[in-house]
Amino acid sequence: MEELVNESGVVAKPLNPEAATEVDMQASYEQHGSGTVGEIYVNDPRMTCRNVNVYYGEKQAIFDVNLDIGKNQVISMIGPSGCGKSTFLRCLNRMNDTIDVCRVTGQIKMDDQDIYDDGLDVVPLRASVGMVFQKPNPFPKSIYDNIAYGPRIHGLSDNARHLDEIVESSLTRAGLWEEVKDRMDQPGTGLSGGQQQRLCIARAIAVSPEVILMDEPCSALDPIATAKIEELIDELRENYTIAIVTHSMQQAARVSQRTAYFHLGKLIEVGETDQIFTNPRHKLTEDYITGRFG
Amino acid sequence: MNEMTSGHTVKAFTEELDSINQFVIELGELGLDQLRRAVQTLRDEDTKEAGLVIDRDRELNEIDIRADEEIIRLIAKRQPVAKDLRDILTVQKVITDLERVGDEARKIANLTIHFYDNGKPPPSNEILRDIYDMATFVDDMLNKSLQAFVKVDLKIALDVIEHEKRLFDEFRGSLRRLSTFLMEDSRSVGHVVDIVLALRALERIGGHAKNIGGHVIFLITGKDVRHENLSAIYSEVADLT
Repeated sequence: MEELVNESGVVAKPLNPEAATEVDMQASYEQHGSGTVGEIYVNDPRMTCRNVNVYYGEKQAIFDVNLDIGKNQVISMIGPSGCGKSTFLRCLNRMNDTIDVCRVTGQIKMDDQDIYDDGLDVVPLRASVGMVFQKPNPFPKSIYDNIAYGPRIHGLSDNARHLDEIVESSLTRAGLWEEVKDRMDQPGTGLSGGQQQRLCIARAIAVSPEVILMDEPCSALDPIATAKIEELIDELRENYTIAIVTHSMQQAARVSQRTAYFHLGKLIEVGETDQIFTNPRHKLTEDYITGRFG
Repeated sequence: MNEMTSGHTVKAFTEELDSINQFVIELGELGLDQLRRAVQTLRDEDTKEAGLVIDRDRELNEIDIRADEEIIRLIAKRQPVAKDLRDILTVQKVITDLERVGDEARKIANLTIHFYDNGKPPPSNEILRDIYDMATFVDDMLNKSLQAFVKVDLKIALDVIEHEKRLFDEFRGSLRRLSTFLMEDSRSVGHVVDIVLALRALERIGGHAKNIGGHVIFLITGKDVRHENLSAIYSEVADLT
């Protein structure tokens, strides 16, 4: 642990944003390279990321990120557009593999398994680390088939009755069952935006993931649908680990236990959400969350 | 404008934060002035002026209410976080303390009317002396606490908090001195009780100044030091001093 701290330049002592000028802060930032302020480690991690770098061709998008994602916790990733938060999120289930020019270095483990191990099959990985996107993307199939598709292709159900149970429990956990139970054969695309997003969450749940990644899951939804998703995220935390990228700082403050602030591809600060939103340690975090840039 | 509020992308937010800071400055000046005028009415035996001090307390109450309304509106509208949130909470707490400074000043003005408008012999200057000494002391504390807020200055805030122990010692010293008046002449008991109440009002003003110092430390550090002793406060802010 000590070695990692030294290698990654983690700043043990919090920087002092109040006493430092902007120039001082910039100097500290440069001096510590990609050093992150705050607690990057947790006692009970589901995923551990060490010295993660991401390149798109020659251009480096993520710089030496070290971060633990705690079990049954919601961690939110915030930062201005282009800061790398979505790129980092997509590293967690190797979604970046689909981009030819994208190269990821460093180590990301789920429990003790290196997810970038050459022999690892990404299909079960993406079932274990599910993803929900910004825009709801139900399959052009019935509500039932949207949920049943994953368990079928992953061979998770023994028979039709078992599959029915998986569909019902997934929709129930996603808070959608009562609204759709009488029209399971209707197209998923006919649901409202908020319902479609919960359908996508139910679809992710149906393949028994351990981690759910959410990339701005509410940005296309109205406030009521957003509230329902946020409520759902809080309920899902009991059984799953959730990493969410959001542009809404209020949403990050409401739904997550830990918050990570990214800036120009670097993880600037990570800590308890309460601390980040009341007393951030790094001036860049402070300036971003108080609306001074970004 | 205090030095914490600058540079939001939404400029109106910065202006709104500035405007609630103005409430503190306005109320601080009024509170300090009320304290000075109330004590001066005792020196001058001026019951008419004391009446004006009492009437003027309404102005402080109105600013308190207006500031609260503005703060509620600002929180609802902007949903502030981090130092913006601390800034707003600090303003609200400082306003509450300053309004109470006004209440204590009113009590002293009431005493002037009680002493010089009831047809009975007023107290001697000798027995009143402790009020003037203590008033000078708390005037300095209050003044410094307002400077600490306006300049967002940790050192001045700590200085104000340090003063509180001396204030308490002054208060205890005055009580001892007043007790000698009682022992020498039991007829002075009425005056002594009234003066103890005035000293208590001044001691409370010093307490409010100390609170303001604590609020400024919260504003700067995010740490709530209101119920901590001085050495604990110093260790809390050690990395900033």
